[in-house]
Amino acid sequence: METGLAQLRFAASMLFGRPLSAWALDRLVDAALETRHEFGAIGPAAAEFLSGPPLDEDARREMQLRRFRAQAAMAAQETPYYAGLFEKTGLDPHRLRFEEIARIPVTPKAAMRNTPDAFVRRSARPAFRTMTTGTTGRPTSTYFSAHEMQTTALLSALTFLQEGQIGPDDIVQISTSSRATLGNACFSQACQRIGAAWYLAGLVQPSQALALLAEEHHLPGKKPRTSFLNTYPSYLGELVECGLAAGYRPADFGLTRISVGGEVVTAGLKARAQQLFGPVVFIEGFGMTEIWPLGATRCAAGHLHWEPTQGLIEVLNPEASGPAQPGQAGTLVATPFGPYREASVVLRYNTEDVVAPLAGPLTCRWRDWPATSDIRGKLRLSIRHDRGWTYPRDVLEALEAVEAVPLPARGGFWAVSGGVAVEAVVRAVTPAVHREIEAALEGQGVPLRELHLVEDRRQLQQPLPLRCDLREDSFATPAPSTAPDVGGAGRLPTERS
Amino acid sequence: MLAATIIILGCALAAVLLSWLYFRRYAIVRPPLGVFNFSDVAMMLGSIILIPYLDLALPLWVVAGLLVVGGLSTLYFTWEPILPPVWPRWLATLVLVGLDLVAWQWLGKSSPWWYAINNVFVVLCAVGITNLWAQAGMKARDAAILAGALAVYDLVFTSLLPLMGDLYTRLAMLPLAPMVAWPIGSEGQWYAIGLGDLLLAAAFPLVMRKAFGRSAGLAAMLIGLIAIGALLVSPLLGLYIEIFPAMVVLGPLMVLQYAYWRRRCGTERTTWQYLQAEPGRQSA
Repeated sequence: METGLAQLRFAASMLFGRPLSAWALDRLVDAALETRHEFGAIGPAAAEFLSGPPLDEDARREMQLRRFRAQAAMAAQETPYYAGLFEKTGLDPHRLRFEEIARIPVTPKAAMRNTPDAFVRRSARPAFRTMTTGTTGRPTSTYFSAHEMQTTALLSALTFLQEGQIGPDDIVQISTSSRATLGNACFSQACQRIGAAWYLAGLVQPSQALALLAEEHHLPGKKPRTSFLNTYPSYLGELVECGLAAGYRPADFGLTRISVGGEVVTAGLKARAQQLFGPVVFIEGFGMTEIWPLGATRCAAGHLHWEPTQGLIEVLNPEASGPAQPGQAGTLVATPFGPYREASVVLRYNTEDVVAPLAGPLTCRWRDWPATSDIRGKLRLSIRHDRGWTYPRDVLEALEAVEAVPLPARGGFWAVSGGVAVEAVVRAVTPAVHREIEAALEGQGVPLRELHLVEDRRQLQQPLPLRCDLREDSFATPAPSTAPDVGGAGRLPTERS
Repeated sequence: MLAATIIILGCALAAVLLSWLYFRRYAIVRPPLGVFNFSDVAMMLGSIILIPYLDLALPLWVVAGLLVVGGLSTLYFTWEPILPPVWPRWLATLVLVGLDLVAWQWLGKSSPWWYAINNVFVVLCAVGITNLWAQAGMKARDAAILAGALAVYDLVFTSLLPLMGDLYTRLAMLPLAPMVAWPIGSEGQWYAIGLGDLLLAAAFPLVMRKAFGRSAGLAAMLIGLIAIGALLVSPLLGLYIEIFPAMVVLGPLMVLQYAYWRRRCGTERTTWQYLQAEPGRQSA
């Protein structure tokens, strides 16, 4: 009965944009936990309840326009940045038509980076300032209210439970930068609410992180080893490289799921990670501090799907005004909607990430949601050359598929006459490796004109930035008892059993 | 009287057995989130106390309207797993409710035809409701608590106060009356068992089977039917009481059974554990 009331309250937020009720979400998390305990899993009908019934194109546009107007009106009335902007454009946010959304100037990253306070609503109660890790430039700040943080964590908990990704018996290792406060706070609170045990390992030496993953636990009601890892692709690459070199095997770990994001995730990385950790399930998607909690879920077909109630997604042609056509790469522009977003408002935010709209109709699981291709990389890390564009994904997919390239792939690329020059770190520079990498790059459609292979990363000229380099140092050295058996040393005999 | 006793006992047997078979064969469409828990039992008890007063206070046409809406929705979700396409499901639902209304209007409330149709309706409702409870995860503990509380309630509101007598007299005048009944003797007299008693008798074997296994379920079914049979035949043996609170007998028996099986088997199984141990259609 209480669950029924909570469902009604949640539905009211979804339908009418009323603020999310922490009580209702909390009760729904309890209901999800009870359902999981009683029935072993939560059925697919719960997903529909959380995201609403599928909408046809017209109904979705109507719903998104209504929400965009509400968000735009709030922005114009309550934030200095958008008050000025709407005054300049002369647009009335209350009467916007769908076609007119494109007339609102895109909000550049620099605006939010330089004046984060200008995006905070006058009536808001900002309680938490989060900053991006600044991998791709100076950090950008965004403000959130305490209520927003609480409801976002509860919504995350509901999603994890509904998708069967995290349960009360899981032990979760967070191997992300300790400065990634927004993601870490919401994720850890969600784990805690579910009843999973979590710990923030941070971006420590890979050997330390591996020792933590291999550690045996004797916690009541929990799995015997860490079962869920949340990390960046580049750091996962470091773990894989270090783990395989140290002689770890899948039997040394209890991981069942790895949530990986924040950078380009390649097929090569996932395949090589499974050599170390066994047949783990990868959870991928897209999330970004500035547009949080609007994010995307990656389906099995490799599309990014954006829940339409959470925000509006546009893909803009970077070389011409207007939207990119299906199959044509463009930059992702996102508007997170209320009631998910309260304290700071952002309209048409230029994420600088490159994706491509998809040609429908789709047949995958979330086919009713707007979809794009997977992220191809940041626009400013992509290059325009005589033959078109080359994106970080094109290069990274090729490099990480080659065993001779240590993980994470370290390299760079730039335009040269007639195509692209690529540089990469390899284990050993040999003609065979050269040929293999050339073939892999060409297989990814990279018009390769020069290939520079080096054995030392310091020799790279224009390396792509990697989050794993946000290293957090520690005085500790890996515990010998949990290191794998390499050459007969480093493992206690009893651990074999 | 004998015919009425046999017919009502037969209906009770049908409700219990059909609920059991339905539980093994069909997965009812339950709410996607949430489990039937103790707060639902508390809410149910509150409703059981409140609703009879409302039924007595509201105009008859309002009560009849509520019975029609309740009957339609109950039959609809009962048919849902049996008749997946929508139109046959609606057809089956509307035909039965329509027949009940037509028989009540044109044949009269003392017609055996109306009683027969209404009994089929009540038995099917009992099958649906008991399965909704059990398949929504109702615990044997909660069913025992409900049964124990209803025993006290029945003793007070049926034996000591005139509430139930007045209520049944009023509801018996309406179509879709929530009771299995059969006319006896002179005009207007009938012999009956209420839907509430049937629900407990039919639901308890299901939750006991889920919680403690087939033997516990069968034992609950047998004990419940014997108790109902004994109550129904007692007037034939000269033990005539105008209205008898059946839960006063059924309730303590259910509490005792729960205590016995809890002690014997320990913690009760969840639905997931039950389906792992006894896979059936329900897991499909």
